[in-house]
Amino acid sequence: MKRFFTLLLAAAAFTGALAKEVTLLNVSYDPTRELYNAVNKAFSEQWKTKTGDTVTVRQSPGGSGRQARAVIDGLDADVVTLALAYDIDAIAERSRQVPKDWQKRLPENSTPYTSAIVFLVRKGNPKGIKDWGDLVRPGVAVITPDPKTSGGARWNYLAAWGCALHQPGGTPASAKDFLAKLFKNVAIRDTGARGATTTFVQREIGDVLIAWENEAILALKELGEGKFEVVAPSESILAEPPVAVVDKVTKKRGTTEVAKAYLDFLYTDAGQEIVAKNHYRPRNAAVAARFAADFPKLKLFTIDEVFGGWAKAHKEHFADGGTYDQIQAPRP
Amino acid sequence: MNIPRWLAAATLSASLASTFTTSADDPSATIAALLKRIGQLEEKVVALENNRSSAASPAPAADAAPVDAARIASLEQQVKVLDRKNELANEAAAEKARTAPVLTAGPGGFQLRSADTNFVIKLRGYAQADARFFPDDNVGGTVNDQFLMRRVRPILEGTLYEKYDFRIMTDFASGITSSAANNGFLQDGYLTARFYPEFQVQAGKFKEPVGLERLQSGANLLFIERAYPTQLVPNRDVGFQVQGDLAAGRLNYQVGAFNGVANGGSGDADTTDDDKDIAARLFATPFKDSDNDWIRGLGFGVAGTIGDQEGNATASNLRTAVSPGQQRLFGYRSGAGTNAATANVVADGRIWRVSPQFYHYIGPFGIIGEFVVSNQQVRRDDGAKSFAKLENTAWQVAASWFLTGEDNSFKAVAPRKPFTIGGEGWGAFEVAARISQLDIDDATFPLYANAASSATSATSWGVGLNWHLDKNIKASLDYEQTDLGGGSSPLLDNGEKAVLTRAQVSF
Repeated sequence: MKRFFTLLLAAAAFTGALAKEVTLLNVSYDPTRELYNAVNKAFSEQWKTKTGDTVTVRQSPGGSGRQARAVIDGLDADVVTLALAYDIDAIAERSRQVPKDWQKRLPENSTPYTSAIVFLVRKGNPKGIKDWGDLVRPGVAVITPDPKTSGGARWNYLAAWGCALHQPGGTPASAKDFLAKLFKNVAIRDTGARGATTTFVQREIGDVLIAWENEAILALKELGEGKFEVVAPSESILAEPPVAVVDKVTKKRGTTEVAKAYLDFLYTDAGQEIVAKNHYRPRNAAVAARFAADFPKLKLFTIDEVFGGWAKAHKEHFADGGTYDQIQAPRP
Repeated sequence: MNIPRWLAAATLSASLASTFTTSADDPSATIAALLKRIGQLEEKVVALENNRSSAASPAPAADAAPVDAARIASLEQQVKVLDRKNELANEAAAEKARTAPVLTAGPGGFQLRSADTNFVIKLRGYAQADARFFPDDNVGGTVNDQFLMRRVRPILEGTLYEKYDFRIMTDFASGITSSAANNGFLQDGYLTARFYPEFQVQAGKFKEPVGLERLQSGANLLFIERAYPTQLVPNRDVGFQVQGDLAAGRLNYQVGAFNGVANGGSGDADTTDDDKDIAARLFATPFKDSDNDWIRGLGFGVAGTIGDQEGNATASNLRTAVSPGQQRLFGYRSGAGTNAATANVVADGRIWRVSPQFYHYIGPFGIIGEFVVSNQQVRRDDGAKSFAKLENTAWQVAASWFLTGEDNSFKAVAPRKPFTIGGEGWGAFEVAARISQLDIDDATFPLYANAASSATSATSWGVGLNWHLDKNIKASLDYEQTDLGGGSSPLLDNGEKAVLTRAQVSF
């Protein structure tokens, strides 16, 4: 018996001696802090149980476009979890740190969760905002971040464009005119979605915040209980925030295995549960069904359906000289 | 009552609109404009609120209160917008400051560095204007009193990708021009890869790690001219070395391979042989972190080189020795090498040098000392060939004291109170004394050097005064007296008395 315990202790000591400490950097977009706080904790525990290694995941939230530029400029991200595929495409093209076919490496085009664009208004909806058309009324102050720096803002912009296009008689010209009027009502353009939420919720500026659904629900539940309402417009866009391992960095740092496992974890039942609890729409049908009551019913269109994909949408709308530049009144 | 308010509101709206269009390109200007506007609007809101609450007579119209409330709410929103814009402008300014390159200028030179300090470029340099006087050269000395630019050295140095340092230093001093044959024009040109403090690799042209005083910057010398040991060790050479600090910086090492240069010489290319010199140095400062002032500044070590060198008819790979006044006091025979009268002496074979060395700094007091033995095989060509291994030695001890109390150092010393005209500060005053000796191997004479024109030994003693006006400006006055052994030339007979002065700027 004594010998058995000795061997057990020796084995434990040996295992402990082999255990590693691994650090990952997840470069993400603004409103994902709470989601990835929960994911990081759960994954670290799971990985520790599975391998004995201790994983610490650091986060670096910021506007999605800015984050992509930081990675291109040399920020050593092991994984990127950004707001839109275009930003990871930019990393692939400009710095070649991820392969061009990165989106095929994980299920659902490497988007383990989705979201939508909704409105957050003040309690009682004093300006009577119900749909996109209400945002261009005189006297309505709109808060949305700057599409030049924020992935969320691009989804907002495209959601508004698509809905304008779907109006009876809607054309690209009428959609452009609608966006021009809408941005005349924008009081402040923050660089990221979380900043815009701060502007609307904490600084009490504006009548309506165009926001990620997850961010609007979060604000409703945790930042201003009883002070806000979520308004689901008649139509919105299906926002698909993608994730990818940054191969060149993980190879250099020897973290490829754990980085892949980290993103795979998002697709597991446990990961999908965390996704839903943080107000993102899970891909897993069973988990989505369990949380269906938490999400408003929305008629959603995809970026591929209306804009022909991110590359085309970026070129037409957000590249220098695109429609966003064209509709600019002098910036407020 | 309502009309002026409408006018006020319209005026405010117009002024706000103009504020909104203020360019965000200049965050500080934007912040200032926003702050001013916020203050004005806050005053207006308070005034409106006061007006509303104090308007007792006549009674307001039924719809006046809602109108006022709407106006106030609108103004409050605008104030909040301005507040938030101010906040965002501050954040943007902070972000810009965090990531923007930094340009600095100061006593240490001019510097441009990236916000993360991984990329740095510095413009530095120093220049020395000297005057040399020989009070009794009428006794027979051959050198004139003169002014000259001793060193004019711009320095460009920096860091790339955090770990790679580079340095380029040229010299535009008197008599030095850029040419293929000039080994002095490019003084330093090297890259240092600092992989770890313990392991660094340096490649290019730089000082071989041998002589203590040679390794001291020309801008930080105690005396205007270096002492004799420097003339028996290499100056700058092309090669590479591995270097680093061990034991938390208490032990410093360098080991390198170089083309090989003559004693006191510099080289840009090895044109005379395939052989290379190995140079190494170990220097300890075991008490550098001690609280004990008496031992903290002690450093000691040993350095040496070994290799083979060959000279030829046009490049002997041997150099002359000079006095503190820079007069030639020793040189090997040189000529066509066809007969005894025109014998030519060149390096041919093994050369090794060993140099124990030390310094010790205790408060304002400092002392440095070094000894060098240089052993070199030479060849005499005079139709026939004869060989000899000649062993020359040199040593020096130099001490100094800061009268103004500054802590003495092997490196630059900053005065406690820099000199200012009309101010209290007079800078730092340092007095110094030195004795130095050169001894030429007896076997050198008469075959390899002419005893009539070359000294067999030289002993110099000197005293000096250095006035460090501030960190950048220094004035020096030295008196050096030299006694020379052997020979029959006026210089050798009478020795040398030299008064040397220097005005130096370094940054």
